[in-house]
Amino acid sequence: MGIRFDSVTVAYDGNVVLDSLDLTVEPGEVMALLGPSGSGKTTALRAVAGFVRPASGRVFLGDRDVTDLPPYRRGIGMVVQQYALFPHLRVDENVAFGLRARKTPKGEIRGRVAEALEMTGMAAYARRFPRELSGGQQQRVAIARALAIRPDVLLLDEPLSALDAQLRSGMLAELARLHRELPDVSMLYVTHDQVEALTLADRIAVMDAAKLRACGTPRQLYRAPTDEFTASFVGGANLVPVTVGTGGVFFAGTEVKVDTDGVIPGAWATLCVRPHLVGLGEGPNQFIGTVTEIQWRGATHRLYVNVDGHTVMADLRELKNPPGLGDSVSLHFASEDAVLLPAGVSHG
Amino acid sequence: MAEAVQKARVVRGRSRSSPRPFGALVWALPPIAALILFFLYPLALVVQQSFHPDTGGTSLQPYADVFASEGFRHALWTTVWLALASTAGCLVLGFLLALVIAFVPFPGAKAVARFIDVYLSFPSFLITLALLFIYGTTGIVGSFQFLTTPWGVLLAEVTYFTPFVMRPLLAAFSQLDTAQLEAASSLGARAPRIVRRVILPEALPALAAGGSLVLVLCLNEFGIVLFTGAKGVTTLPMLVYSKAILESDYPGACVVAVVNVLISVGLYGLYRVVSRRAGA
Amino acid sequence: MLVHSRKAKWAVWAVFLLLFLPLFALPLLVVLGASFATHWSGVLPSGLTTAHYRSATRGEALQALTTSLVTAVTASLLALATGTWAALAGAALKKRHRRVLDALFVLPVAVPSVVVGLSVLVAFSQPPLLLNGTRWIVIIAHTVLVTAFAHQSVSAAITRLDPAYEQAAASLGARPAYVLWRVRLPLLLPSLTAAAGLCFALSMGELSATMMLYPPDWTPLPVLIYAATDRGALFTGSAVAVVLMAATLLVLFVVSRVRTRASYR
Repeated sequence: MGIRFDSVTVAYDGNVVLDSLDLTVEPGEVMALLGPSGSGKTTALRAVAGFVRPASGRVFLGDRDVTDLPPYRRGIGMVVQQYALFPHLRVDENVAFGLRARKTPKGEIRGRVAEALEMTGMAAYARRFPRELSGGQQQRVAIARALAIRPDVLLLDEPLSALDAQLRSGMLAELARLHRELPDVSMLYVTHDQVEALTLADRIAVMDAAKLRACGTPRQLYRAPTDEFTASFVGGANLVPVTVGTGGVFFAGTEVKVDTDGVIPGAWATLCVRPHLVGLGEGPNQFIGTVTEIQWRGATHRLYVNVDGHTVMADLRELKNPPGLGDSVSLHFASEDAVLLPAGVSHG
Repeated sequence: MAEAVQKARVVRGRSRSSPRPFGALVWALPPIAALILFFLYPLALVVQQSFHPDTGGTSLQPYADVFASEGFRHALWTTVWLALASTAGCLVLGFLLALVIAFVPFPGAKAVARFIDVYLSFPSFLITLALLFIYGTTGIVGSFQFLTTPWGVLLAEVTYFTPFVMRPLLAAFSQLDTAQLEAASSLGARAPRIVRRVILPEALPALAAGGSLVLVLCLNEFGIVLFTGAKGVTTLPMLVYSKAILESDYPGACVVAVVNVLISVGLYGLYRVVSRRAGA
Repeated sequence: MLVHSRKAKWAVWAVFLLLFLPLFALPLLVVLGASFATHWSGVLPSGLTTAHYRSATRGEALQALTTSLVTAVTASLLALATGTWAALAGAALKKRHRRVLDALFVLPVAVPSVVVGLSVLVAFSQPPLLLNGTRWIVIIAHTVLVTAFAHQSVSAAITRLDPAYEQAAASLGARPAYVLWRVRLPLLLPSLTAAAGLCFALSMGELSATMMLYPPDWTPLPVLIYAATDRGALFTGSAVAVVLMAATLLVLFVVSRVRTRASYR
């Protein structure tokens, strides 16, 4: 079952926290809502769950308009950052909670609980209380509890942010496996972490300041972002102002060859190149600058190079003889690795 | 057609959203009804009775009679100054004792804090009962007529109500970050300065909460005064009791009750307004 | 952490004990000592006896104990039910309405207990509800007096309750009534028992309103203690007071055991 936002606006005391969101999650798809805190992504998820009421617009689950339904009639699985396991119930009772609330026959509950615990690898902990489990285990129980009711839609609100880095990558793989095992369940995954979004999502919706900025597959957003915010939030990017004339595109006085589709000649535009696609030395689209900072990051060196007053970052495979601070270096990039974006407000 | 359907849905959506707050109000009604029946309505009857002298009719006569009597004015003054003095005493004593328990801890400090909690669950008149043995006619200190003076009541009230100040203070102190104290003392601040500049500002809300509660409880205290058996110390609650039960002067008792309620509720309301302002 | 030198610490502790012991420990010890004595004219009580306890645990005193226990248990349960209901209903209200409700329910704290007693006496000595002379008038007054405390502590606990639990339950398909019964009330249980203990202790020691209301056949312990001291039987009064304290502590202890089990489950 899919999820559809039909120009959903949410406001608290006249403060718009979600501004006419239009978004469709296809059945069986994992959609990541990616954005910084306060971007409205959690509000969007809570509108689907039924905990916030849109000021206008409708929310659909499949063909059903659920905007006016209370949360308990929506049949949605939900997992939140702080787990929210019921502390007074044992693990299996937590997992059975949704089934009991729906008056599922007793005989069936037992099997469904066992199945959900099996799926999340928590069968051995069925008789424990939540406080006897680690954070990662608690999150698995929370997922099992949400899956036990066999929802068509699973909402995940920053499910991994309370875990440490190592556990997080393990759980990420676990979630990907769950998605493969449950191909019909649509997932809406709220996160501020681009790695989680890139790893797990079929499509990513990038949100900023209550608005949807871009929506597409991870590859599209990474390779061909359409706006500056998406470019820098998904993956990090060099964003430098360029002039677009009839004679070509110019950065720091030199011409760069780049696809100019859809950009009006004579205007300012922003050139976007990923740091790891910038090369050192001679090549096409070459320009010269001064090294202002070098960071050694083990496998790579990151160079900060001042080119005509703009800082360009280059991630280079570990250098045998790195340049020194203040050295003049030439950098280059391949034309197909650069994207031209409409100029942002900052360059106005 | 589609537009009409859309419109109907929006209207239905609105009407369905409204029952929630309305339903919440309905759920609040039973306890409010109970409160009205058993508390507000009786209180209203007291106010009504205070305007009905025994001679019949509705008049301000009971008020005039009560306000004219020397006994009432004396009781009013005694009640207010005793409550204010007791509150001040409780605040100072409670602050000092809580300070020691929280910041100069000794073995058994936890037990003392626990003892304070237990103390709160005993009735106030026990203190007067004990004081009767210590200062009473056959007491330890001898037949010193201390208890029948307001000072005896003051001592008993400070003793009994100090824990009411200490409990919120201890709770507030346990929230205080000890790193702040360590930072202050590493910067060379001495104890009195730390107390004044770091601890006192943090303790103010708790002091205000405890102090206002104690003020109201002192204004309303009855058991301590009753047990002294002193004819010399009459407070407003005592006057209500003696007028109603001993003299069967109900209109008079109701007048004193109204005055007592106005003072207590007024002070309590004032405190809530002030503390909300200060908190916001 | 506030006082560092050893000497200063000892000085502070000495002052603490000098204030604390005579003020807080001494009164209780005196009552306890007196309950075993027949005379007290020196520093220590004399004429040790357990006779007061024999009379304090039978006849009139025993009846007063049952009266107090029945009154306190009934009043605390009624107060807990009303206070919890009001606090739960208040939590669902809009902020403006909730303030009115909170103010209404805090009012009995501010109104003198004697006045509560007088008002209940005035109201229920006349039709339609003629309760004067029955035990119910005492129980009603106690309930009114302690409901405010029950409401305050339960509503404080509700504000501390993380809404994530209710929301998780609702998303799993639980209706509000099911959420209340299976999630909110179990999570509130420790606070509910704490509130019950507080109400019980307050009701056990209630004297002011009771003095205005008690019928001859429903005399709670505090009234009996007052009657004893008023006729000069201070030592018997002390023994009854110790019985009162012991009964209160015993019930509080049992309640706190229930609470620990509830919060560690």
